[in-house]
Amino acid sequence: MSDAVGPVFAALAHDTRRRVVQTLASGRGATATSLAADLPMTRQAVAKHLAALQRAELVRSARRGRETVYELKPGPLGEAASWLATVGGEWDERLERLGRLFA
Amino acid sequence: MCNYSVAHYRRADVNKVEREITVAAEPEDVWRALTDEVLLSEWLAPEVELEAEVGGELYVRSEDGEERWDTVDELEEGRRLAFTWADSSVELSVDAVSDGRTRVRVVETAALPVSDWGPRLTALASACALTLA
Repeated sequence: MSDAVGPVFAALAHDTRRRVVQTLASGRGATATSLAADLPMTRQAVAKHLAALQRAELVRSARRGRETVYELKPGPLGEAASWLATVGGEWDERLERLGRLFA
Repeated sequence: MCNYSVAHYRRADVNKVEREITVAAEPEDVWRALTDEVLLSEWLAPEVELEAEVGGELYVRSEDGEERWDTVDELEEGRRLAFTWADSSVELSVDAVSDGRTRVRVVETAALPVSDWGPRLTALASACALTLA
């Protein structure tokens, strides 16, 4: 078993990190601050999840001025992560609406 | 109340998303929400038209205005509805959990096999299969 693939699944198994991937997949890169504004968590929590995603090689970062900008890595792993996060997120929202019909 | 399955992360199928929710309702009522156009428009997408029969047409307009014409592949009355949508197949199933509680399960599978997503992903899939077999 390759060392490179274990962290990928660990990274994606976390609900919050899936949301980070989902948000990154829908945009052109984001900072920890902009992600924290979009997601219900602190900048510190976002930074921790971004670090985990980076270790899993799903996300890459670049310095832009004084900011660090994160984006999904192109390639099959990033695409798979993005598909899982996007499609999974869509069904989360749909099932939540379905649940509300019976609430 | 919501109970989302993360089973897909423990399997070799990286092109599959599985989710489920348990609601306080009878299976017949939940089935109606899955097959009645008016009810589908309340949760699946803002505009849905469905001929609830095998080979029937499914029209979906999503929030962003994207329109899709899809086909019903399988229909097991009161239990299971499967359709092809864009590049994925979707299966919705309904199960009675206990008195007055019903589970809805959804599985969406991308048409593209994992092997087409590149050798590294195939390695990932087999590594997980090895670890968890």
